[in-house]
Amino acid sequence: MGILFTRMFSSLFGNKEARILVLGLDNAGKTTILYRLQMGEVVSTIPTIGFNVETVQYNNIKFQVWDLGGQTSIRPYWRCYFPNTQAIIYVVDSSDTDRLVIAKEEFHAILEEEELKGAVVLIFANKQDLPGALDDAAITEALELHKIKSRQWAIFKTSAIKGEGLFEGLDWLSNTLKSGGG
Amino acid sequence: MSGHDSKYFSTTKKGEIPELKEELNSQYKDKRKDAVKKVIAAMTVGKDVSSLFTDVVNCMQTENLELKKLVYLYLINYAKSQPDLAILAVNTFVKDSQDPNPLIRALAVRTMGCIRVDKITEYLCDPLQRCLKDDDPYVRKTAAICVAKLYDINAELVEDRGFLESLKDLISDNNPMVVANAVAALAEIQENSSRPIFEITSHTLSKLLTALNECTEWGQVFILDALSKYKAADAREAENIVERVTPRLQHANCAVVLSAVKMILQQMELITSTDVVRNLCKKMAPPLVTLLSAEPEIQYVALRNINLIVQRRPTILAHEIKVFFCKYNDPIYVKMEKLEIMIKLASDRNIDQVLLEFKEYATEVDVDFVRKAVRAIGRCAIKLERAAERCISVLLELIKIKVNYVVQEAIIVIKDIFRRYPNTYESIIATLCESLDTLDEPEAKASMIWIIGEYAERIDNADELLESFLESFPEEPSQVQLQLLTATVKLFLKKPTEGPQQMIQVVLNNATIETDNPDLRDRAYIYWRLLSTDPEAAKDVVLAEKPVITDDSNQLDPSLLDELLANIATLSSVYHKPPDAFVTRVKTTVQRTEDDDYPDGSESGYAESSSHVADGVTSPQASSSSVPAAARQADPAPAPAPVPDLLGDLIGLDNSAIVPVDQPSEPAGPPLPVVLPASTGQGLQISAQLTRRDGQIFYSLLFENNSQVALDGFMIQFNKNSFGLAAAGPLQVPQLQPGASAGTLLPMVLFQNLSTGPPNSLLQVAVKNNQQPVWYFNDKIPLIAFFTEDGKMERTSFLETWRSLPDSNEVSKDFPGAVVSNVEMTLDRMAASNLFFIAKRKHANQDVFYFSAAIPRGVPFLIELTLVVGVPGVKCAIKTPSPEMAPLFFEALETILKI
Repeated sequence: MGILFTRMFSSLFGNKEARILVLGLDNAGKTTILYRLQMGEVVSTIPTIGFNVETVQYNNIKFQVWDLGGQTSIRPYWRCYFPNTQAIIYVVDSSDTDRLVIAKEEFHAILEEEELKGAVVLIFANKQDLPGALDDAAITEALELHKIKSRQWAIFKTSAIKGEGLFEGLDWLSNTLKSGGG
Repeated sequence: MSGHDSKYFSTTKKGEIPELKEELNSQYKDKRKDAVKKVIAAMTVGKDVSSLFTDVVNCMQTENLELKKLVYLYLINYAKSQPDLAILAVNTFVKDSQDPNPLIRALAVRTMGCIRVDKITEYLCDPLQRCLKDDDPYVRKTAAICVAKLYDINAELVEDRGFLESLKDLISDNNPMVVANAVAALAEIQENSSRPIFEITSHTLSKLLTALNECTEWGQVFILDALSKYKAADAREAENIVERVTPRLQHANCAVVLSAVKMILQQMELITSTDVVRNLCKKMAPPLVTLLSAEPEIQYVALRNINLIVQRRPTILAHEIKVFFCKYNDPIYVKMEKLEIMIKLASDRNIDQVLLEFKEYATEVDVDFVRKAVRAIGRCAIKLERAAERCISVLLELIKIKVNYVVQEAIIVIKDIFRRYPNTYESIIATLCESLDTLDEPEAKASMIWIIGEYAERIDNADELLESFLESFPEEPSQVQLQLLTATVKLFLKKPTEGPQQMIQVVLNNATIETDNPDLRDRAYIYWRLLSTDPEAAKDVVLAEKPVITDDSNQLDPSLLDELLANIATLSSVYHKPPDAFVTRVKTTVQRTEDDDYPDGSESGYAESSSHVADGVTSPQASSSSVPAAARQADPAPAPAPVPDLLGDLIGLDNSAIVPVDQPSEPAGPPLPVVLPASTGQGLQISAQLTRRDGQIFYSLLFENNSQVALDGFMIQFNKNSFGLAAAGPLQVPQLQPGASAGTLLPMVLFQNLSTGPPNSLLQVAVKNNQQPVWYFNDKIPLIAFFTEDGKMERTSFLETWRSLPDSNEVSKDFPGAVVSNVEMTLDRMAASNLFFIAKRKHANQDVFYFSAAIPRGVPFLIELTLVVGVPGVKCAIKTPSPEMAPLFFEALETILKI
């Protein structure tokens, strides 16, 4: 009986999923993060030409996570995915200091988007396991995160390979979304 | 009236597309699946749902196989119309090609092959490579077919990635289905290539023969077809192969049987032992006979093929003539073919039986069949000397029935019999003459007249008979006239009496002065001259011995027969035409570049508007040498789709109406977009844009010479495009010194070289000068330039037009980014672009504006803009007789709103 009720409830209410976009330059680690979150494993990836979408359940919230390819040729199509998005996870390769400027430009271009006005922003300073990776403060500086107004955001140091920092970020995200931040 | 009509403007309907879009993005899986089903339904009834591309593709990553299949179906249909967005599907293909479920892997690889978008083919090579080595045979065989499809799109890529080798490896696969499909793929690739790609070696031969016994019926067909192209090393090998294949003759599938027959016939050419050949012929007869008990359509195909087979090896069916006897309920096309084969199989041994049949057929009701039966009797008479007399007696019996068309047909064949056996059967002429008055068909008349002329000396009243025809000489068809002329001459030569002499005068007069037919006139003059110079010589010429004829009607030329026999069980063998006579195939591979080379620029119809510079005359030689190089640069990969081959279209373009207009060149105001960067143009940079000035369309161009040499002799050429834009005059660009630049306004005309297909904004331009190769670049045609000054509509006519157009002509689009903050300014801007304001009304908190516009040839656009002043988001709905123009219109509107 109990199980039946749970099922009914989950079918009535539980299907509501938070729509999350994982964005970032190519080779930032977006796909690796997605599958680390979903399966808890490191999978070998190839450049994503297109997108991946997976459902991740965490803290009683179902996230519909869209991992979009970061290649220059695909970035223009990110906008196709913007409507109805509650949150953006922006992934930065902290060791790729050369391209931080591009990462910043892309990031602020996203923030300008009308359709993403209400979305909360979570930044993953990824690849902390690599030598020479900048820490969260340096990334905050490089991405000029202090310029963000009227929007909730947070930055976490992560290593998708080691699985560090990811779920802390997700914790923040689920709490923010639950409290109506999205 | 106008009060009621306002309701036509207050539409709150969202339209199907936005509704579907919303459902596709639904939270709920079931709803999304239903939405995709609706989209597919709309697609199958021909509605354009391509604008939902991303939304549908986003449903692609799903566990639900049904949904996945539907999305794949959608992709196959629309990837071509959305080549840029198709890239979004790549990752899903890559993933699906690694799915644990082999059905999904195969589905992915199959769909990939159907998506003919150049941009993404490269990404699909890795998954394809994997699938060719998949553990599951179903995936491997699907991948094999995919290689053939890919070869059609990009042959070079297939060769570079080694897919051909992978395919050849698959021939040694342990699964017969994979082998068969690999063979099918290789055979298809071979057909499209002029290079030898697929050649069976003795090693693959044994693999194929083994797989043959185990694979499906259609797989067997592919393998047999491939084997029939194999050239055995010697008679012994051929015998071995044939021995392995013979059991296929007993297969229930007629395609297998015919392919096996083809294969055996090909190998038999090599076999020398008469015993073996006789034995094989014996074995092939029963399966061929069995084919004739199938449905009439299959019987027909079988008969057409048998027709070829008996021409090469009559012995196979020599004893089976009875199965070709027509049944009363056979369809006419089967009967006709059967007759043809009966004639081919008729021999001294069976002729009595055959004649009985023919005689029977000649009394049936179907006129065409009866005629053919009568002719068949004649052809048998010509073919079989010993049976000729029996044939003639049957014909005479038939003439006695006095059925008009039987008599006429009989006379036609008897004429041939007289030619074949001269001085043998003339005794029957009297009988023939009895039917003289009933003849009304030209061929029969001509035949009878020939007979009278030929045997004038034996027919007492020949002159009377001919005279009866002469009365109507001018009205007769030329065939009859020619025969009359000759027969009269013969009569005169044989009986040079007064009567014929008068006749010949009449005929020659008629045939020279009164006729317009040159054949008749020439022949008459020749006779005239012959008769007037030397009647003895005329006798030698006109009454000379004639060569003996044979029945060669419906006999094929031996080399054609060879080719058709190699194509048994294909359309070619049904049509009795070589495949290239009815299939046009583009052979890919390296040859392509050679084909692109055309020898002479002026010959190729490359209509040029030459520049008015002192030495502006270019030598065609110089331009021809540069064209191929430029072609390769402009279009590096041999890309058949989706952009039409610029060169190909340029060659076919017809731009005869070039009107020279003296337009002063003036540089344009705002900076023009660069269409050919200096890096591509070897230092020459071209910026250009279509603009509208004073009611005329101009191509505003700016040339900047950053190269080291002076450039002159500029010419321009436009490819066929949706609006038929072409230059109205010559391009006026002075010589450009290094570092100099020059701008010009080139007047344009419309509807000159229209391309077919749905309208698009692509404008392909070729520019050349005397120093550099031809440059090709693409520009966009902005619809703004086409809105005419007379596009303003009166309110009432606007309402009427709006009402008269069906709802299907309404297209709408949202511009979420556009903001109208100052209505006045926006209206001014629209008016400046010839979009005329008609009316405005309030709807809830929104303002609704109505505009009208028109493009040349009087195509109106009725426009409805819904917006809230100062708030982003403008909804535009348009109604027009040409809704296919809508995307171009929205592009134009977006530019206006964004300024």
